[in-house]
Amino acid sequence: MRQDWNTLQLCDRFFDAIEQRDYATLERCYAPEAVVWHSHDCLYQPRDANLAMLKDGMTRLKMRFKNRRVHTFEGGFVQQHTLFVTHPNDFVGQMDVCFVAYTRDGMISRIYEYFDTGQMDKFLPPRGAA
Amino acid sequence: MTDGEIRELCNRFFDAYQDRRVDELAEIYAPDCVVWHNVFGGREMSGAENLAALPASYTMQRRRTYDDRTINTFDGGFVIQYTLHGVQHSGHRGALWICIVGSCRDGKITRIDEYMDSGKFPAWRGAKPDAAKETAS
Repeated sequence: MRQDWNTLQLCDRFFDAIEQRDYATLERCYAPEAVVWHSHDCLYQPRDANLAMLKDGMTRLKMRFKNRRVHTFEGGFVQQHTLFVTHPNDFVGQMDVCFVAYTRDGMISRIYEYFDTGQMDKFLPPRGAA
Repeated sequence: MTDGEIRELCNRFFDAYQDRRVDELAEIYAPDCVVWHNVFGGREMSGAENLAALPASYTMQRRRTYDDRTINTFDGGFVIQYTLHGVQHSGHRGALWICIVGSCRDGKITRIDEYMDSGKFPAWRGAKPDAAKETAS
């Protein structure tokens, strides 16, 4: 039970840090060997590249993870959410995401993120409007 | 349900799906089962609706296999990450990378949330990369 609680806390800490633009906390959530796989390219993104991408996004955009549904399992968690992103031109994009994370020692070591690139018109501002 | 029972139910579900045993799937779905996809408009459908669509869906490929199954169980459900391999009637072999979160009760599945990338549907079907978006069927 304690492990479940710790995993839930890690999950919340990670997504709250992105929402609150707390990069230091976000970085501490990742184990040194962390990699992030995305369903659109099926590639494992290294830790540093992923953190740089998130840092850039946190700087330019307002991100909110709504309708969070979290389940913990032995060695990780799965969170389903809808990501709302407010762009500089006030366009609010949204995307349904399934986020599977594997953890060790209170840190995230591997992430699998599933989403639909066929609905980018709902997520990104119209071309020329950004 | 125990972790083992949930895992067994999950594998039973995917084996039946792969082998096109709709009658077995009907036994696995609870009467109030709901199926949701992040594609196809994001509409929730009943288990019965989902089952009714399967025979036509199965005719679209020569074969489908549900491979590389990584299953993790939690209290009342499971998350499975897998690769769907398909052989089209043209002989083209395609793949989709999918994640499903399932809820279970009393030996049956009560909810399925399925996440995939429709941007990969043309490659799945063997269409040219710039082909118009269509369904995965």
